[in-house]
Amino acid sequence: MSAVGAAPRLEGRGNRGSASWMVVPALVLLIGFFALPYLTIITMSLREASTRAVYGDGFTLAHYTTALGDLYIWGILGRTLLIGATVTVISLLLGYPVAYHLAKSRSRWTSLLYIFVLSPLLVGLVVRTFAWMIILSNNGVANQALQAVGLINFPLQLMNNPLGVTIALTHVFLPFIILPLLGNLQAISPDLAMASRSLGASRMRTFWKVTLPLSMPGIQAGTILVFVLSISAYVTPAMLGGTGGRTMSVLVVQYLVDNFRWPAGAALAIIMAAVAVLFVGLYLRLTARAMRRLP
Amino acid sequence: MKLTRREFAVGMTTAIASMTLPRLAAAQSPLVVPTYGGLWAKFWEEKLLPGLTSATGIQPQLDVGLGKDFVAKIRAGGGRSPYSIFMGNENIAAVLRAEGFFEPFDLAKVPNAAKTFPQFINKDAKGIRAIVSPIGLAYRTDLVKTAPTSWHDLWENPEFKGKTGLYQIGNTGAVLFLRLVAELFGSGPDDFDTAFAKIKELLPFTQASWSGEVATALIRGDAIIAPVDWTEIMTLQDKGAPVAIVAPKEGVLAFEQSFNLVASGAEKDAAHAYLNYILDAKVQQDMAKAFYTSPSNSESVVDDAMKARTPIVGPRMAEIKSYDWDSYVDRAAEIADRWNREMA
Repeated sequence: MSAVGAAPRLEGRGNRGSASWMVVPALVLLIGFFALPYLTIITMSLREASTRAVYGDGFTLAHYTTALGDLYIWGILGRTLLIGATVTVISLLLGYPVAYHLAKSRSRWTSLLYIFVLSPLLVGLVVRTFAWMIILSNNGVANQALQAVGLINFPLQLMNNPLGVTIALTHVFLPFIILPLLGNLQAISPDLAMASRSLGASRMRTFWKVTLPLSMPGIQAGTILVFVLSISAYVTPAMLGGTGGRTMSVLVVQYLVDNFRWPAGAALAIIMAAVAVLFVGLYLRLTARAMRRLP
Repeated sequence: MKLTRREFAVGMTTAIASMTLPRLAAAQSPLVVPTYGGLWAKFWEEKLLPGLTSATGIQPQLDVGLGKDFVAKIRAGGGRSPYSIFMGNENIAAVLRAEGFFEPFDLAKVPNAAKTFPQFINKDAKGIRAIVSPIGLAYRTDLVKTAPTSWHDLWENPEFKGKTGLYQIGNTGAVLFLRLVAELFGSGPDDFDTAFAKIKELLPFTQASWSGEVATALIRGDAIIAPVDWTEIMTLQDKGAPVAIVAPKEGVLAFEQSFNLVASGAEKDAAHAYLNYILDAKVQQDMAKAFYTSPSNSESVVDDAMKARTPIVGPRMAEIKSYDWDSYVDRAAEIADRWNREMA
């Protein structure tokens, strides 16, 4: 009886009140560290430029119109999106088999594979990127190895271009697609695949018709994560991209930090954020539609 | 989960108070001294600041970062700068000066300024370039047959074609080089059209964001020659790397750390005392020993051992090309944009 009697008190007014307090830190965090900075950046992007003050007195849309009318900026934006898309596709192709294996494996070596998967995240970003510089430079390990086996006579340009950035970003963001996929694949009941096999479907057909469609939520989550992280990455493109692999985030930092052009840099940051939201929204819509059509 | 107005108000007040308290605390903090990381931070922590405290009684607080970080903090601080004194490359300091964040030093409070080589004291004491790291032509001793003697060698020695390393435009080293090339080949340090045309002749070249990256390119052999500061090359030599650095006959460039009095700073007397200590002959000597800068104090002792490693000392300080950056500020953005588009 007492337990039954206690239940209404747990949901009573007093407890609702104390639970409400728990919202406040998150609310403050959201307003203080998300909404306000974004508002500040938007306001800054509308300020007039000045070399005699941090920004001019008036407001203008000039930073947006200049950026959007500049083919150079469009080129960098396109390159950024292309790098993001390429990293996402390669990560998916490499990560899916690993996640699938991890989800199905009962081996005692599985934990070792988990460590391998997480290994890119266990080393500092700058250290990891320096390692890629040593591997990909003109006199680096990769070129020396290719020259030693006689495959090339002159060093390949493996960095200071989008290729180097794509390789290094794929390396670091691979765990971000494997982990959501792994959770998703582990949640799929093995009975479904067994039922498919018992009805005569081959292993491949079972994968295409049962496992892959059911893992779509994991694919969606992982690809969005990798895409967004890739297009907003800074350190890797800054160190490995050079002038040929410059991305929007590098350009934004250059405007803001190197050239002290806060209004123009803020406008570029807003354009980049808007394009990212647009692409992610479009992708969500397309994948949601594809998932609705699944059997 | 319904939040009453009273609960919301109390929550917000607590949150705002928690955000405000550190600011109030900061207002009561001592002189905040900005410096760079690595060897610089080590020297500041272990030698310079304890020395300052025993000489003046000032107990400063160290802030380690990049010159551009200090700029951002001063700009973001508006009328309440976290620093009373700024340290950064002169071209960066010129930006804040143009924006009205600095005021002239009272040289009566900086007696050591009288012993400083005059070329490092800006007009009307609007900034003193107190720490000087000369930039020469560094090269790989094992890969270069004819050692450079002139900046012109970058264009004329075929060994260097496609094997040159340069700073990218975000680094002061690149703008210094741009102005040097404008002066060498054009009508003066502001002849940027000529400078761009000549530097484009060096393409393709490796571009690096900071001296450490130039050093890495040299060590890897991706570049066999590059304009770099003595500090970086001496440090590499100490590690046994096959690199050397020469002072070209036309003169050298230099990273000049400009100290400026922040108008909205709260500790202006302490800032003057700090600068005076930085300019002290012995302190300048110690810095030169710690990270191979060239003493800006004309009374600093420069022995043969120091001259052998960092030759641009004493009377040879006149070989440093010091540029005026106040007018450059108006063109900096356009030049950075142009570099990005043309030097690819």
